[in-house]
Amino acid sequence: MATPVIELENLEVRLGNRLILKRLTGSFSGRAIGLLGPNGAGKSTLINTLLGFLTPSAGTARLFGMDVRRQAKEARGLVGYMPENDSFIAGMTGVRFVRLMAELAGLPPQQALERAHEAFFWVGLGEVRYRTIGTYSLGMKQMAKLAQAIAHGPKLLFLDEPTNGLDPPARQRMIQLIQEIRDRGDLHLILSSHLLRDVEDCCDEVLILKDGRVAAFCNLEEERRANRRFLELETRGADAAFVGDIEGLGCEAAWSGNGKIKLVLPDGVEVRQLYELAAVRQVQIRRLNHKRDSLEDIFLKAMEGANGSL
Amino acid sequence: MAVYKKTYRPYDGHLTPSWSRFLVVARYAYEDLRRSRFLSFFFFASFLYPLGCAFTIYLRYNLGVLDAFGLAPPKSFAIEAPFYLTFLGFQSMLAFFLNAFIGPGLVAPDLANNALPLYLSRPFSRAEYVLGKMSVLAILLSLMTWVPGLALFALQGYLAGFQWTMSNLRIPTALFAGSWIWILILSLLSLAMSAWVKWKPVAGALLFGIFFVASGFGAAINGVLKTKWGHLMNVSHLIGSVWVSLFEEPLKRGAGAVFFRVAFGEEIPIWCCWASLICLCLFCLYLLDRKIRGVEVIR
Amino acid sequence: MNEAAIVFDNVSRFYGDVLGVNGVNLSIPPGVTSLVGPNGSGKTTLMNLMTGLIRPTRGTVSVRGIPPDRPHELFRVVGYCTQFDSFPKSFTGYEFLFSYLLLHGMRATEADRRALEALAQVGLLEAANRKVAAYSKGMRQRIKLAHAIAHDPRVLVLDEPLNGLDPMARAETIALFQQWGEQGRHVIVSSHILHEVDRISDQVILLSHGYVVAEGQIQGVRSEVSDHPIQILVRCLRPAALASRLFEQDHVVEARITDDRRGLAVRTRDADRFYLLLNRLVVESGLQLESVAPVDEDVSSVYQYLIGTQGGAS
Repeated sequence: MATPVIELENLEVRLGNRLILKRLTGSFSGRAIGLLGPNGAGKSTLINTLLGFLTPSAGTARLFGMDVRRQAKEARGLVGYMPENDSFIAGMTGVRFVRLMAELAGLPPQQALERAHEAFFWVGLGEVRYRTIGTYSLGMKQMAKLAQAIAHGPKLLFLDEPTNGLDPPARQRMIQLIQEIRDRGDLHLILSSHLLRDVEDCCDEVLILKDGRVAAFCNLEEERRANRRFLELETRGADAAFVGDIEGLGCEAAWSGNGKIKLVLPDGVEVRQLYELAAVRQVQIRRLNHKRDSLEDIFLKAMEGANGSL
Repeated sequence: MAVYKKTYRPYDGHLTPSWSRFLVVARYAYEDLRRSRFLSFFFFASFLYPLGCAFTIYLRYNLGVLDAFGLAPPKSFAIEAPFYLTFLGFQSMLAFFLNAFIGPGLVAPDLANNALPLYLSRPFSRAEYVLGKMSVLAILLSLMTWVPGLALFALQGYLAGFQWTMSNLRIPTALFAGSWIWILILSLLSLAMSAWVKWKPVAGALLFGIFFVASGFGAAINGVLKTKWGHLMNVSHLIGSVWVSLFEEPLKRGAGAVFFRVAFGEEIPIWCCWASLICLCLFCLYLLDRKIRGVEVIR
Repeated sequence: MNEAAIVFDNVSRFYGDVLGVNGVNLSIPPGVTSLVGPNGSGKTTLMNLMTGLIRPTRGTVSVRGIPPDRPHELFRVVGYCTQFDSFPKSFTGYEFLFSYLLLHGMRATEADRRALEALAQVGLLEAANRKVAAYSKGMRQRIKLAHAIAHDPRVLVLDEPLNGLDPMARAETIALFQQWGEQGRHVIVSSHILHEVDRISDQVILLSHGYVVAEGQIQGVRSEVSDHPIQILVRCLRPAALASRLFEQDHVVEARITDDRRGLAVRTRDADRFYLLLNRLVVESGLQLESVAPVDEDVSSVYQYLIGTQGGAS
């Protein structure tokens, strides 16, 4: 059996005298895991503990089978971290900075330099790699953070709010890069974010924390498959009669004015039948998709529900 | 035709040994320092005094040279412990200045923009970080203090003969130990200041403050309270006394040399000096422990 | 002139030689309006102009009839939530709001009441007595928001207000914005999260390189971008069959099979006819549809067309 990537056993972590993580238990091995939770749920605390910045007051945490307290250095050798806040050394050029970080992770100087250049090109900062980081824009600093996280070839990548402050094209590029990393298959990702859309685009599984406990852990792919029967329509020309027709087919439908209709297709009813109705009533179905917001529902349900464990 | 696409690839090559990682930090710090021409100039200028001393030693054992110039040799031209004590005092002052220039810039840039989590999320510990930064200071300051000092002693030993060398072994040990105490205090202080005060000029000013202002303050306390314990705040006096005890020099001209002097009769017992210096080091280590962290906890 | 609008009349603002915004003509009605654009496109300049913190180099600004050279009136009416975190370090959340309200000239009882109200609205009542320096990022964001609304302004200018908020807080805050918009206030929100912009705002203003590239209702903006035919993505089992039927129509300009061979990206000059046609095709030829989505009736695609992928300062 393969060693799980992250293993937690009754992990308890205190900050000051507040207990933040309360007996967290679980075993995670997914390719890309999203970490969600309201503010104060313990997401950053968990990441900080796994990285060795905080010591647990009880319980154990293991990365690739290595205890983060007793084998901290070996565990950290396999990890890459992209922090949420600004993190750079202002006076250094981009390439020198990433090279320093790669050397600290154990790479010999020559290889570190080569990989620093490669990392910069791959994140799209090839043009500016000789400029000092202090002169970079916000988007470039985020990309530089990603470059330093991957330059040494880690097996586990922690990404904390990677699209923070990025404008739309840069956000798209960042998501694309993360998806590329994920699709390689030889690197595990933990993505912590408040943007559900980012997590949906990049992750296969989701771990939701609340109040220092595991509120939910689910597999997004399975959820998506389960949502085939939920449809959302945007129409033009629809009226109450049209909705009535839909209900006549046996579907539960909810009409929210301005043409938006949400409905559940029971077994045996096909999308084609909806179109038949639309053709008869000359209604344009401008948008038809299967429910996209599964993650939002999962999240809300997790927040309402009692604390659970895996 | 083969088309190559730039993509991410994992690393499975050779890794450097774990113990040598702190040297990476030292190397980068040193490369940054080399770029400053002022520092390089200052560093090389600090060898002028040792050269002068070397010349003096040479003269002492080759009085014929003076005759050749028609100069009479000075009456008591002895080169013994006081000579080396003065040497150490002077070079230490230069070392203090170099440290004040270099020290603040070592840690402050890393903390100013929160780069510490990136350092510490690697197989790299806080102790290695501090050790790496300190080793730059240690090497440069050593080259200014005990290294030329020992070279001078070696020169004198060569000129004065084996007998003299053996009977004066106290001098090189005092030079070595005294210098290292000074280096340790200076580097810990400047790193601690650099970590607590993120702005470089202010950190430098604090260093000067600790030495000069605090000693003045200590003297004021002495004056007001009619005691001698105010001198505990005078770090230079504490170190000076320790040096004097190392060199076993009777307190003829007051403890310490050059600017470490304190009035005769107001010295503090040696064990107090050692104790306060150790406390100072521990305090600096405590400051560093609070600030060099992956995540700062606000209570 | 509509008294309840924010009006920019041929406004330009330069910082020395550097362009902030150039030639801006806007009349922003009440409701929720989003400011969208790359970093460096002039959003912050526009917001600063609206709140009277800077004056235009040329042109006039008027916020609900009040010009920025009457700051004592303007600042009562405007609340500003900036992008940056800076607080007096030793204040607690409550003290921060309370002292600020006192500055507005309110009496202590009134200031106290409003401070508590604002804290309740953003959900920070329990943490009100902790120092702001100890707040988490999301809490700091919320205290900034509370600070912007505490004096009950009619115009709210919010620079990336959802930054750092968890999904529930985002939804609650969006609901707050919509509530304020319905009350007739101006709520100007700048954001990078385009799918949220779609959901929360009635109007949108797109900026690029200091120029207003488009403004108005989102669907309205799209239909005005006339040099691009409407793009619709149809996911189905046999896109090729659908494509051949579509090419018989004269309004269809392009049909492209997507990379995964399960979708068809159609460009048409007449969306209405296309959809009605789709109804017929599904019924007659048994077409198995998985989903239909107009690819560009949202801010994302308008952004793509008008600003593109390199739009901002770099």
